Amino acid sequence: MTTEIATEANTTSPETDSDIVIETRNLGKVYRDFWGRKKVAALKALDIQVRRGEIFGLLGPNGSGKSTTIKLIQGLIFPTSGHAYVFGKDARDVTKNERIGYLPEESYLYKFLNAEETLDFYGRLFDMPAEVRRERADKLIRMVGLHGARRRQLKEYSKGMTRRIGLAQALINEPDLLILDEPTTGMDPIGSREMKDLIVRLRDEGKTILMCSHQLADVQDVCDRVAILHLGELRELGRVDELLKVRDVTEVHAKGFSEELKQKIAEFIKNEGGDVISIDNPTTTMEELFLEIVQEDRPGARPSSAKPN
Amino acid sequence: MWGYFEWLIFRFGLLQGIAVAAAIALLGFLGCYVVALARYGPGEGFYRVTKVIYELIARDLPGTSWRRIHALARLAFQEAIRRRVLVVMAVFIVGLLFAGWFLDPSSNNIARLYISFVMTGTSYLVLLLGLFLSCFSLPADIKNRTIQTIATKPVRPTEVVLGRIFGFTAVGTMLLVVMGVLSYIFVVRGIVHEHGVRDIASDGMSGTTTYDSAHSHTFEMIEDEDGVVRRGTTDEQKSHRHVITVTEVDGEKRYTVGPPEGLLAARIPIYGKLQMTDRAGKLGGGLNVGYESEYQKYIEGNSLMKAIWTFEDIGPERFGDGAVLPIEMSLKAFRTFKGDIVTGVQGEIVLKSPDGRVESDRIGFIVKEYQLDHREIPRKLQGAVDGVPREIDIWDDIVQDGKIQIEVRCIDPGQYLGMAPADLYLRAGDSTFAWNMFKGFLGIWMQMVLIICLGVMFSTFLSGPVAMVATLTCLVLGFFGNLALDVATGEAPGGGPIESLIRIPLQTGAMVDLDLGNPVLETTIKMVDRGIMWVLVSLFQAIPSFGQFNTSDFVAYGFNIYGGLIARHLTMTLSYFVLTSLIGYFFLKTRELAAA
Repeated sequence: MTTEIATEANTTSPETDSDIVIETRNLGKVYRDFWGRKKVAALKALDIQVRRGEIFGLLGPNGSGKSTTIKLIQGLIFPTSGHAYVFGKDARDVTKNERIGYLPEESYLYKFLNAEETLDFYGRLFDMPAEVRRERADKLIRMVGLHGARRRQLKEYSKGMTRRIGLAQALINEPDLLILDEPTTGMDPIGSREMKDLIVRLRDEGKTILMCSHQLADVQDVCDRVAILHLGELRELGRVDELLKVRDVTEVHAKGFSEELKQKIAEFIKNEGGDVISIDNPTTTMEELFLEIVQEDRPGARPSSAKPN
Repeated sequence: MWGYFEWLIFRFGLLQGIAVAAAIALLGFLGCYVVALARYGPGEGFYRVTKVIYELIARDLPGTSWRRIHALARLAFQEAIRRRVLVVMAVFIVGLLFAGWFLDPSSNNIARLYISFVMTGTSYLVLLLGLFLSCFSLPADIKNRTIQTIATKPVRPTEVVLGRIFGFTAVGTMLLVVMGVLSYIFVVRGIVHEHGVRDIASDGMSGTTTYDSAHSHTFEMIEDEDGVVRRGTTDEQKSHRHVITVTEVDGEKRYTVGPPEGLLAARIPIYGKLQMTDRAGKLGGGLNVGYESEYQKYIEGNSLMKAIWTFEDIGPERFGDGAVLPIEMSLKAFRTFKGDIVTGVQGEIVLKSPDGRVESDRIGFIVKEYQLDHREIPRKLQGAVDGVPREIDIWDDIVQDGKIQIEVRCIDPGQYLGMAPADLYLRAGDSTFAWNMFKGFLGIWMQMVLIICLGVMFSTFLSGPVAMVATLTCLVLGFFGNLALDVATGEAPGGGPIESLIRIPLQTGAMVDLDLGNPVLETTIKMVDRGIMWVLVSLFQAIPSFGQFNTSDFVAYGFNIYGGLIARHLTMTLSYFVLTSLIGYFFLKTRELAAA
């Protein structure tokens, strides 16, 4: 790989920082009609850098340019301005794909193949020998919990199962960079939680993850940094914890408060010139509640082996 | 009948191929540059076009992996099976089952009819299959976005194109093999018929067979050297004979008619060069009777006109043991009066050495019209050397430096014999019918590969239906290319496109010169036409002439498909495969796969 990078100097990012996995410079895309007339400017001058070992989220409403950015980064479409580099190579260089795993929005897979054939097929596309393909396919099918359905054609799969096999194909080459387009859509809360756990685990193993999602809670749960796009423009970029921090409100978590003690504390805050907004018991999330109930009902059962939706 | 290398070198096969490739490369480069120029400006545009070419040579070709091609080909194969291509097989089998309803068993040559039927049926089905598979696959992948999971793997455009071509070719080959085997069984079984013996002459030496399959035969028995009659043959009816065998059971003679022979032949002909003499006996003669043709001409009876075939590279080793020289001819007769209609027009054959010193006696024959006349001339025959009569040997006396001349003359005054170069040939043994049929199917296979290559190429930049129309257009032009080429080269009367357009409202005859009363206008029209026709000719030259690949007539008419022809077709197929793959690569490389 290193020799390849060295020989392909003309498509390499001029300043190759080994810690920067994805870099876009002034990246823009204008869709045109057949006659070359401008239809829509889907992306305007995007400058982002995704660093090694982080989970980077792309956020934005429909039509904000998330998918366009992902397609540009993978060379599926060509920029009308600027450049995109992945591992220091031009986005249109197919050799960069050796180190990328991609889960598209709708798992665009061949429905007439079964899980094993699917993974074997994508393994072949990475020029992997038969033994390695077999071994990895087996490991991944178990990991995504499709062991019982490995011989069934994908057209018989539910949406959640299709997402799982889509994720497995994205991991077949043990990628350094994982690009996930709406990774949790179509998944039940258990699957969704597993997906998020997996994403974090992969990050901990040193992989870089770029994901885009509408599920703001998911982004908040897993992403280290986010870029918020709107109408093709970058509106916000930074660390999630920094962006979400409400700087003029203080939160105290404690146990064993009586009603009297709460009154006293409220008094104390007022006396010291502070402003009490509320003193209340926190609520858990619906996700936590759901997972607790489902897992209590099935002691010892792995959530992933639950019947998919 | 050119040999492979003769075609490649002397018939400009190679030169034409290079010219077509160079023209397409140049046009492609210019076309791409114009597009890039409009988009990026002259400098950047040129850089981008050359970069794509550089990437093909420096990266994508060396980076192409057989494993990936194999994976994509397998996927294409599985996809085709899923799209129920096996229905085609069912259609074919049903067609064979009911073929008996519409194939006329009283036809003059039942084998020819059956072979034509199965081979035409097979080629239509397989070509249509290739057309549909190749044109719709890639656009479907782009439309339902499965291409995105492939294009985001380290897959080169070369691999996408080659994988598709190989996959669909594998499907087609599989079907073609099954259809070929079924066809062979159908033909071999279809021609089988049996006769009994109806009448036998009192001496037991001749008789007639029963009337079966719309014909009957007469037969004659032959006495063996020991004076016993064991076998005989029938006359030739509907292009076949039967062998009759006699066995004695309890002192009674039993005649058994064997299976038909000679229907499934694969003759290996040796063709010669034909020259004709005129009425004064000088070379360069030959007459036309009504229809003007340079290929087929006539000689007049009882005159100095004769047809002279010169054969080269002839030796006894090419004819088995060389005991006989087998000649086959199918001459046409043209009568200026009724004459002796029962006997037919008479002619004679003389074998001659190239220097003219040795010649055989005249061998008379009566023209068998619309039939193949098979004659075996014995090695030793009466003739003359320098005018002195003596027994001569074909191989030792007549053939010189591997050359022999065969002269044909018409005897009957006022009657004419018509012939083309291929109408008289030496029959150098036979190939097996099964092998010949395989070669015929190889021709269909090559047509299928061409269709698949074109379909995949068009589908890299057109949507499915449009790619199909484009491929179909190539197919039609390729099959009926001669007509189109005649129009484009001006062989067909009526001038070029603009001139023809003007002639329609003016209603002028096509054979009359265009007269608009303005010479400048007429010259301008003709010059513009010439330009358009030049472009048209170049276009037609670039389209593979599918008709050429159709060798089913060889099989049906019982002629061996010679190796040189197959080698030529294989070379052309390979060239088009390379060309279409490259064009497909460039389109796929430069298009956005997720633009929708």
